[in-house]
Amino acid sequence: MKFSYNWLCELVDGLAADPVKLGQLITMKTAECDGVETFAPWLARVAAAKVLSAEPIEGSHNRKAVVDAGRYGRRTVVCGAPNCRAGMVTAYVPPGTELGSMTIGKRVVDGVESDGMLASGYELGVNRDHSGILELAGDVFEPGPDAVIEIDNKSLTHRPDLWGHHGMAREAAAIAGAKLKEPARLSRIPAGAAPVKVEIEDYTLCPRYSALVFENVTVRPSPLWLQCRLEAVGLNSINNIVDVTNFVMAELAQPMHAFDADKLRGDTIFARPARSGERILALNGETYDLTPSNTVIADAGGPIAIAGVIGGGESAISEITTRIVLESANFMASNVRRTSSALKLRTDASMRFEKAQDPANTLRGLARAIELLEQVSPGIRLVGGLADAWRPKPAPQPITLPLEWLYRKLGRAVEKDEVRRILESIEFGVAEPEPGVFLVTVPSWRSTKDIAIKDDLVEEVGRMIGYGSITPRPPMVAATVPPTNEERRYHRRVRELMTDEGFTEVYNYSFVSDETAEKFGHADLVRVSNPIAVGQNLLRKSLIPGVWKNVLDNARHFDSFRLFEIGQEIHKRAEGLPEETAHLAAAVYAKAGDGREGLFELKRVAQCLASTIEVEAGEALAYEHPARTGRLKIGGETVGRLFEFHPSFVETGRAAVLDIDLGALERLLPRMQKYTQIRRLPASAFDLSVITELRRPVGWIERQLTTLGGVDLLAIEFLREYAGAPLAEGTKSVSFRLTVGAADRTLSSDEVGVIRARIIDGMRGWNYELRV
Amino acid sequence: MNPNDEVIAGARDRALERIAAAAVEADLEAVRVEVLGRKGLLAGVSKDFGKMAPEERARMGKLLNAVKQEVETALESRKAAFASAALAARLDSEWLDLTLPAPPPRRGSLHPVTLIQTEIEDLFISMGFTVLDGPEVETEEHNFDALNIPGDHPARDAQDTFWLTDGNLLRTHTSPVQVRGMRKLGPPLRMIAPGRVFRNEEVDASHEHTFYQLEGMMVDRDVSVAHLIFFMKTLLTSIFRREVTVRLRPGYFPFVEPGFELDIQCLICGGPGCPVCKQSGWVELLPCGLVNPNVLRMSGIDPEQWNGFAFGLGLTRLAMMRYAIDDIRLLLGGDLRFLNQF
Repeated sequence: MKFSYNWLCELVDGLAADPVKLGQLITMKTAECDGVETFAPWLARVAAAKVLSAEPIEGSHNRKAVVDAGRYGRRTVVCGAPNCRAGMVTAYVPPGTELGSMTIGKRVVDGVESDGMLASGYELGVNRDHSGILELAGDVFEPGPDAVIEIDNKSLTHRPDLWGHHGMAREAAAIAGAKLKEPARLSRIPAGAAPVKVEIEDYTLCPRYSALVFENVTVRPSPLWLQCRLEAVGLNSINNIVDVTNFVMAELAQPMHAFDADKLRGDTIFARPARSGERILALNGETYDLTPSNTVIADAGGPIAIAGVIGGGESAISEITTRIVLESANFMASNVRRTSSALKLRTDASMRFEKAQDPANTLRGLARAIELLEQVSPGIRLVGGLADAWRPKPAPQPITLPLEWLYRKLGRAVEKDEVRRILESIEFGVAEPEPGVFLVTVPSWRSTKDIAIKDDLVEEVGRMIGYGSITPRPPMVAATVPPTNEERRYHRRVRELMTDEGFTEVYNYSFVSDETAEKFGHADLVRVSNPIAVGQNLLRKSLIPGVWKNVLDNARHFDSFRLFEIGQEIHKRAEGLPEETAHLAAAVYAKAGDGREGLFELKRVAQCLASTIEVEAGEALAYEHPARTGRLKIGGETVGRLFEFHPSFVETGRAAVLDIDLGALERLLPRMQKYTQIRRLPASAFDLSVITELRRPVGWIERQLTTLGGVDLLAIEFLREYAGAPLAEGTKSVSFRLTVGAADRTLSSDEVGVIRARIIDGMRGWNYELRV
Repeated sequence: MNPNDEVIAGARDRALERIAAAAVEADLEAVRVEVLGRKGLLAGVSKDFGKMAPEERARMGKLLNAVKQEVETALESRKAAFASAALAARLDSEWLDLTLPAPPPRRGSLHPVTLIQTEIEDLFISMGFTVLDGPEVETEEHNFDALNIPGDHPARDAQDTFWLTDGNLLRTHTSPVQVRGMRKLGPPLRMIAPGRVFRNEEVDASHEHTFYQLEGMMVDRDVSVAHLIFFMKTLLTSIFRREVTVRLRPGYFPFVEPGFELDIQCLICGGPGCPVCKQSGWVELLPCGLVNPNVLRMSGIDPEQWNGFAFGLGLTRLAMMRYAIDDIRLLLGGDLRFLNQF
């Protein structure tokens, strides 16, 4: 929202702060100022100039004009504007003026020395007309430079009153200790019967609809001061009537609308929900299909405006308009907001109404408009009295504000008189029914939504005393130990382990594309209904696609690397929120080599995470090397996968990948570790070599031997595997060292022999030969 | 004169001479075998002992022992000399140029956001706060309604939301964890909640649709603005490792009342204004405020008995400030040339 400094100054008596200082004060006390910009500083140098003569220059479309430029005296300028003629009064810009990005100089044009320039409204920045040089009505050039204070709209969300200059002027007056002026004189509202009837179907949707009828209207361009004011705050000048409605909106935050009275059908204006199937051609030239969730203003023939959003095109003000109906109404904030978002149509009016405007404001808007219309459309006459439909709402309950409570909230005491002065400066009523307790009456423009409870008053007092006046203090609280977040603590341990092992942490996006999901065989993903790009419309149910991208991207820069991510997998559930499970995904990439090293490195990492983790051969997924994949298990439970990317996924080099469900891992880790007594009795060891088929997993053989060893087996250690002569083709020999013993004594060599024989016989029983 | 005297003297002289002349350690062993061995020169003398008179035998035995001793000592000393020379030679041969560059370290690294998050978690844990988690996919109720942002509230504009086809959404801030924390733990409560959040925004050097926040909340009896400022100053002093000047100004967030924007005095220019602070001398850092009583009430806490403060810290932004990262896209870009630096 743009605020004109000049405008604010007109509304506050004795505002001393310069624009930059005022911007800073507003930032600290009211709302965030995004910046202060000078508006058309060159206007200070512009003077009204009467064109004394305008002669054509031979061989050129330009004219040589001699002007009487007031304080600059008589000057000769070359002017190309088609409307440049003797007798007109226009705007003269002297040499040396910086006008936007150019500097006006004395220069020779078409053989004539041009001493300055005659300017259009567009060139001067006072309106958007560049059809010719300005035509001034009087012999004074009124517009002067201004400063525009830009306030962040987000910080005005809760303040309907600050969507007009008068509201901000009230803040400025309170901050500066100056006096606020009231631009609207309600006494101007005429008495008498209203020439139009207003029927409101639902007062919730339209709490108030006020209107006046004017006749003998002249529609023409606004005077320059009005055009310039609107230009400064970013509004486009249309014509004098529309400009007045916009001026009142920018001043009092009351959006208004003028209908051409002769275009209205019947003498009644309705405010009602749209009927199904109704359409409206709006002022912006677009046609909108309406539904009963939209509120419309209608006449006997149908909708003439979308309430609080935009007027209709058919009843718009035009050059032939002579009678107008001037609407100043109030609409339900949430309904306007829903309509405006449904129609994707945000207007200056809808932005204001959706903040919950004050129904009391409609009459101020009309009163102010009467005086302005009289200025810009001489001869205009009111017809009859005010049409005003509304149901008075009960006045908001005054708020009880115990001062002790206020001080406890702020963390400092404030003089009682100071609290009263602050609240009164922003027009809150203050009574003190019992000592130390204020009863605060909230003004109508703050009570629509903004202020309802005593906590809201803490802000009003706090911002005015300045939060900088509060001394930071630690609270006095019980020294309790906070509950530990075991999951996060565990993730932190995993991160430390991974970095100690040389892995670099990456963060990947939660989004995947349809294409990626299909490539990885991921179905049934949670879907985004309004994705930012087509490639980001699904939520990942695995970290692997992200890690895959990391591998491909980084393989362009490195011959080998290690990386990991800890992130959430998001799995759709039949109902309720999706299930989110934290996973660790890690990859080891090497451009050279046969890939064994990376896989075993990751296996070691997995076993560092949980020493009881085992790898079990299993079916390969689409993106896995079919002969290099395994499930990671603890006990009988699968906790993850270890695999190499399928060569069609990673074409140069090899990438080993580990994917572990950290939730499952944490759950399966032993909570309390108990000490095992150190064995003091000697144990006996012997080696066994089992002959098996080539692809029989070593882990399987080890499990068989372990089972056969039973309680006597203290340890089993893999020694080596061997294939080749003299073994038969297609077989291998796998050697282990087995350590056996009893808990309470040393086994005799006979007893060891019995155990050994039992194991050998057991293996032979399963048709496995042993080399003994 | 016993002829053995001559044999012994001869053997001794010869042995000492050869020990002195030994070129390698193996020569010494040859001498030992030749002189002291079972078939050595001195062993021959012992064989004649039987034929000798007892006195002569005693004298001869003594002499023999003395010579053996002498030769053995000479052998040992020469052996030690060889060992010491060998060690010296080995040590010399093992000369290493330690000014050569070390092999590159195989060093992993944590993500910059992890680094800063860990630091802040530790700080708050030390002040009695618990760390809570919430899901990335949230309900509309947790993300908006329970935070005093009903469906048609204009404040929803400020948070462009990714909606899911099932009606849920990707959380736009970590604030829903406040709601979860209050409902799960009840008052009194001190909690922080770091995590990933999402906004439906076009990505450029300073905007991301995925970033990290850290929510903080305290609910207790008589929590005041003074307490809030205390925690914020403590937090920022710890993050920036120096005293920082902060200011609070009004800011509007429906879940707090009063609400603030907290600015820190620009750490680059210290106040007079520079490009980093857009010439204002201040950098907007975090929104905060006293918890709106409606928010407490909606999570089952009686606002007449309890009140609190809440804040939301942009972890991504903080990491960028800490490490002078000028392009937000690097953080989720997965480029090890960037990530290996931390």
